[in-house]
Amino acid sequence: MCGIAGIARQSPTGVTVDSLGRMAAAIRHRGPDGYGFYVGQRVGLAHVRLSIIDIEGGAQPLTNEDGQIVVSYNGEIYNHLELRRQLEERGHVFRTHCDTEVLVHGYEEWGADVLHRLNGQFAFAIYDRNRETVFVARDRFGVRPLFYAQRNGDFYFGSEIKAILATGEVDAALDPRGLDEVLTFWSARPPRTPFSGIASLEPGTYGIWKDGALWLRHYYELDYPEASEEPEDVVEQLDEIMLRSVGMRMRADVPVGAYVSGGLDSSITASLAATASPHTLRSFSIAFDDPRFDESVFQREVADAVGSIHEVTSIGSQSIAESFPKVLWHTETPLLRTAPVPMYHLARLTKQSGIKVVLTGEGADELFLGYDLFKEVSVRRFCMRRPESLNRQRLFDRLYPYLSQQGRGGEFWRRFFLEAGQPSDPLFSHLPRFLLSSRIKEFYTPEFRRGLGGMDVIAELRASLPTRFFAWSPLNRAAYLEMTTLLSPYLLSSQGDRMAMAHGVEGRFPFLDHRLFEFAAALPTGSRLRGLREKEILRRWASRVLSPRIKGRGKQSYRAPDAPSFFASGSPEWIGDHLTPDALRRVGIFSPPAVGGLLRRCRAGLATGFRENQAIVGVLSTQLWHHQFIESAHTVAPLPISNASVFLSDGAAVPT
Amino acid sequence: MQTTESEVTPGISETAIISSVRAFVRENFLYMMPEFELADDDRLLEKGVVDSMGISEMISFIEAEFGVFAAEEEISEANFGSLRAIARFVASRQRFAVG
Repeated sequence: MCGIAGIARQSPTGVTVDSLGRMAAAIRHRGPDGYGFYVGQRVGLAHVRLSIIDIEGGAQPLTNEDGQIVVSYNGEIYNHLELRRQLEERGHVFRTHCDTEVLVHGYEEWGADVLHRLNGQFAFAIYDRNRETVFVARDRFGVRPLFYAQRNGDFYFGSEIKAILATGEVDAALDPRGLDEVLTFWSARPPRTPFSGIASLEPGTYGIWKDGALWLRHYYELDYPEASEEPEDVVEQLDEIMLRSVGMRMRADVPVGAYVSGGLDSSITASLAATASPHTLRSFSIAFDDPRFDESVFQREVADAVGSIHEVTSIGSQSIAESFPKVLWHTETPLLRTAPVPMYHLARLTKQSGIKVVLTGEGADELFLGYDLFKEVSVRRFCMRRPESLNRQRLFDRLYPYLSQQGRGGEFWRRFFLEAGQPSDPLFSHLPRFLLSSRIKEFYTPEFRRGLGGMDVIAELRASLPTRFFAWSPLNRAAYLEMTTLLSPYLLSSQGDRMAMAHGVEGRFPFLDHRLFEFAAALPTGSRLRGLREKEILRRWASRVLSPRIKGRGKQSYRAPDAPSFFASGSPEWIGDHLTPDALRRVGIFSPPAVGGLLRRCRAGLATGFRENQAIVGVLSTQLWHHQFIESAHTVAPLPISNASVFLSDGAAVPT
Repeated sequence: MQTTESEVTPGISETAIISSVRAFVRENFLYMMPEFELADDDRLLEKGVVDSMGISEMISFIEAEFGVFAAEEEISEANFGSLRAIARFVASRQRFAVG
C-alpha cells in the first residue's frame, strides 16, 4: 500500500521536482519505505512506498519496456499471479515480481478494459506518453482513495487532498454543499468533498485526461439480481469464494495480521488467516475503558480460538480528545462520530508491533445485511402495515434494547422510527439516520443557511438513484444506499484507509472481493436476513470455521464515546479555544449562541442523546477541520530528490 | 400512579404549567433555534422539538417540578405529546392528589 500524486499540464511547461517532492512529503505517512518521481514536460508523477510485495524490485514509478507507459499505483492486485501468466503467454516480458508491473502490461494489452480483470483494491495513474493521456482509476468499492482537481486546464491528483494542496497551485476553500452532505450522510458523497473544486473519484470509475479535459466513466456498478431461491450448493459456493478471497489476500512478502473486533466477521477473517498463514497469526483489538463499548472478553475468546498472538490498545476518553486533531488531519473531513479515533490507535499499535498488513471484516454487514438498520427496515414496514398494533412496535425493544432501557421514552422512541418516512420513499431505509444527523444544521448561522440557497442534499440523493434501484427489494435498496453513502466514503475512508495509512498499515478486506459481493447480491434476501437473524447464510457456512459460541454471537455495533470524551476533567484546552464565540464567528458556519447552549449542556453532562452527541462532534470537528485546512498554510518541505529510490524523466532537462 | 398530597404542588393552573414547561423546552431543546414558535398544541415529537432522550429528560423535569409521577405506560402521545397535553396530565394529577 502506498500513496500516489501527480500533475498533468495542458501545455508542456513542465512539472517541477519541487512540486512533486512536496506532494510526496504531504502523504509520506502512506509510504514510509521509499519514494520516487517521474518528471516530464507534460506530466509529473510521485509515489511513496509501503513495501509489501517484491520488497527489492517494486519501487515506483514504474514503466514498461520502452518507457512509454509510466505508472504510479497504490494498492494490491490480488490476482496478479494469474494475470501475469496470461500476459506472459501473450508475450509480455516482466522485470519484477510486483503486482504493479501486471498493471503496466495489462494496460498495454487491454487498455481501460484491464480494470474488469483486476481483483483488488487500488487507485492509480498511468501516463501514456504515446497518447499523451493520464489514465486514473479506483477500485470497485472505493477501498483506496483518489482525489483530483482541475485548474486552468491542469490536472492535479493524489491519494489524499493534502497532496494536491501541497502544490500551492490549488487553494483550499470550503464547499458548503460538501459540508452539508457530511452533516447529513456522515460523509460527502463522491465526487463531492468538503473542499471546493476538489473531487473524489467515484468507486468503480476511471478517468482519462487529455489536453486539459477529463473524461469519466463508471466501469463497475452495483446490482442486485436477487434470485427467488438459493442455489442448492449455496454453502459450497460461499466456501469456495471465501477461501479464495482470504487466500489471495494473504499474498504478501511480509507477515499478514488481523484485526479482531469480537464479532462474527472479523472472527471469520482471523480464523481463515490463521489457517492460511505460514506464521503464528498476530491479532489486534481495541478495548474501551467504558464497559458499554468494550468487547475485549469476546476478542480474547476469538484470539484464543484461532491461536493468535494478541495485542490490545486501550481507549479512554482522554485518548480520544487528545488524538482528535491528528485524526482529523488524516480524515480530511469533519466527522459526526469519534469512532475513527480508536482505529487510529489500533493502527499505531499494529505498526509498532511490526505488522503492516491486516485482514479485517469490513463489508460483511453490507453484503449479508448485518446491520440493525436492515432489521429496522423490516420492522418499520411490518409496523406500518398495522400502525395501531403496540405488539408490533415492541419489536423495536428487541432490536434496540439499549435504547429502550437507557431512558424513559415510553412510546416516543419507537414513534421516531415510524414517522421518519413512508415505505414508498426510495430512501425509506435511511431517512431516520439522515434526518437525525441533519439536526446539526439547526446550529447553522442564518447567513450560512442562506448561502446554501435551499439546497436539499437528501432530495439530490433521491434524484441521483439509478433506474435499476427501483426494481430492487426494499432490503437491497437499503444495502445499496449503505454501500454508496456510508461504506465507501466513510467506513472505508475515515475509519479505514485514513486511520491505517496514518501509520503505514494496509487493511485488506476479504468480504469486499467483488466475486463475493456478486454472490451475495444474487441471493434471496431471506438468505441474508431471516426474520431478525442477520447474516444467516454466513452463519450457516461459518460453522465450518468457527466454534458455535463465536458463530452464534449477536452483533454489537462498534461505537466510541462521543461528547463525554471532550468534557471530562483534564480535557485539552484547544477544545474550548475552537468553540469560543470569536472562533465560531470567524469561521461563520455555526451560530455562537446555539453552540453556547450546546456547550452548556455538554458541560453539565446533559447531552446524552444521539442528536447532541453528533452535534458536538460535528461542530468541533468542522471548526478544527477549518482551522487545519482552510485557515492554515499548506507549506511542506519537499522530499529530496537525492534520496529517491526512483527518479525518471522524459529525457528533457529536469525542471526544478 | 401513586401520589400523596405532600408530593404535589397544588393549585398551579394549566397556563402556568405550560409556561414553565415551555421555558424548560426552550432552554434545553430549542436553545439553537430561538426564533422557533412553539404553540401549545404543537406535537413535540413531530415538530422535532424533542427526541426520545429529550422526552425522558422532560419527564424527569416535570416530575421534579410538579411533584407528579408518570408510569411507563403513561408516557404517551396523549399525555406528553404537546405542551397542552402535559399541562392537562399534570393538572389532573394535582387535582387527584389534592382532592
